[in-house]
Amino acid sequence: MSSLTQIDEAQASRVRYTIWFGLIGIVVVWFGLMPTLGGNLSLYFSLMLWVTMATAFNIIAGFTGYMPFGYVAFYGMGTYATAMLVVNYNVSPYLAIPLAGLAGMMLALVFAPTLRLGGIYFAIVSLSLAVIMQRIMGLAPDELTGGSHGLNLGAKTNRQDGYYAMLLVLVMALTTVTWLARSRLGKALKAIRDDAEAADAMGVNVQRSRLYAWLMSAGFASLCGGVQAWFTGALDPITAFDVLVTAKTVIYAMAGGLGTVTGPVVGTVILVWVDELIWREFPILNNFLLGLIIALLILFMPRGIVGTIMQRFPRTRRLIM
Amino acid sequence: MINEVLLWNAIVGGIVFGVVYALIGCSLNVLAGVLRVINFAHGEFVIAGSFFAFAMLNSFGVHPLVALPISAVLFFFAGVALYYLLVPRLAYSDEPETSSFLLMFGVSLMMVSVITWIFEADIRPMNFSFEPINFTLFKIADAYGPGRDGRVLVPTARLVALAINLAIIVALTWFFYRTLPGKALRAATMNREAVQIVGINIHRLSAMAFGLAIALAGITGVLLALVVPSIDPNGGPDIALIGFIVIVLGGLGHPVGALFAGIIFGFVEQFSNLLLPQAAAQMVGFIILVAVIFVRPEGLFGKGQLK
Repeated sequence: MSSLTQIDEAQASRVRYTIWFGLIGIVVVWFGLMPTLGGNLSLYFSLMLWVTMATAFNIIAGFTGYMPFGYVAFYGMGTYATAMLVVNYNVSPYLAIPLAGLAGMMLALVFAPTLRLGGIYFAIVSLSLAVIMQRIMGLAPDELTGGSHGLNLGAKTNRQDGYYAMLLVLVMALTTVTWLARSRLGKALKAIRDDAEAADAMGVNVQRSRLYAWLMSAGFASLCGGVQAWFTGALDPITAFDVLVTAKTVIYAMAGGLGTVTGPVVGTVILVWVDELIWREFPILNNFLLGLIIALLILFMPRGIVGTIMQRFPRTRRLIM
Repeated sequence: MINEVLLWNAIVGGIVFGVVYALIGCSLNVLAGVLRVINFAHGEFVIAGSFFAFAMLNSFGVHPLVALPISAVLFFFAGVALYYLLVPRLAYSDEPETSSFLLMFGVSLMMVSVITWIFEADIRPMNFSFEPINFTLFKIADAYGPGRDGRVLVPTARLVALAINLAIIVALTWFFYRTLPGKALRAATMNREAVQIVGINIHRLSAMAFGLAIALAGITGVLLALVVPSIDPNGGPDIALIGFIVIVLGGLGHPVGALFAGIIFGFVEQFSNLLLPQAAAQMVGFIILVAVIFVRPEGLFGKGQLK
């Protein structure tokens, strides 16, 4: 590589990072001011939640090439860990939510052996494990998980603090993927995704790299679940482990473009907005249109919005993460 | 000691449900084998079949046994149409199996939405029974203590469904092994490229496979409405999950393996309902699924056999 292209690349990378961090900065200020400006707290909360979920999902699906169809297991684990700590053991939510993140990572460690399965087997097993988790939470003794009725945080519910906690988790997730995209680990993951054997031959520790991605991805999903429990205050096994949570995460991430840093953010912002619009205009057709969007995306835009732009107009690669 | 009547009920239930699961698994595996499509929406097609029988009965007074062949034909053509609409484009994606899984998830959301829009979201009873309603298979002397005989009763509708189901399974096996299209389907499962070299039009064959699988799903739906006379519009995912357990048990893409696996799973389910507490019984299927994938990912019967 000549020194000229190196300088060129360094410059392009500087441009990309400036644009990206500028955008993150605007988003943080915008979301941070929203409660004082009197915006719709629930809408902005769910926007932040889904951006975080899609971004975290991207770590395992986009960077590493797995399709965990039971991704909701970690989210549900986070909601339950938080609620159980707060309700049963009177732990402060400020401590309970980080612990819930750890609990999600522990669960990911338990599920780690599934990573040696490939493709569709992994998807099916992951889905079954999520269903098993849902059944366990529903059938556990009432004094532990509240059984099929679930738990209620009551007076511990805090929308304001929950909102800011979500913002914090969002910024953590975005910073993590930004770091990941240029880190040694991120490059190792993409190498594994494209050809695991070749990556292994080049000296990449395949198993350990995959495990790190898996733990990161699961940890953020659990944090999302935990904050969501704090924000809404009520949970039950059906909604905490709803397969629609996985579905939405997958769709939002794919719509933007898996494997790109900006993709999941762009996809989520557009689709949550569309979803909100559909909800308001055609409440009965909500799921129908959601399904239609999934089908059309897979058939006509498998690389997502950002991925397709980067493919059609290669020059934009200088500007987009 | 388990009550003998309950034991026999579990055995009969295992057969009745087992053959239904066998049909579900078989149709799923036709898709998985020939098309590399994992049909997440399969449960919704089955439910659509049940609702078809329900609507025919309630609106036109059509007997479910008459609705059965009609549903098979209608669902076949719907399947062929869906094939040309959805599948050829999937070939462009990097990982067709995972993409198909997501695509069919989208289809399943749309189908649930349409079904609940037409029939509303309540569980509907199938008000239909044969004469006599129940059939006594045999009596067991002193089953409930001295002098109190027990009877092993089966709803006649279940026996009828079982008989039809068995006939379909025999016909399918004949089709797969003795007819040219059936042999072509098995050949396409083994090697998609080689089949094209010997002059088979893979698109027509695939369209036929899709039609066959969806037709079987419709038939399963009508039969299921006889076996369990209440139709839940949101029951699709549960059916699809049972289907996944069965196809993994029998070997992915292996229509005949799925027939055996379905019957095995029917027995496992009925006996775990009988022997285990409810909490554990509901999870047995999934635990088997996870265990089989780790221990024998090629399925219980191995790769080479049963081909």
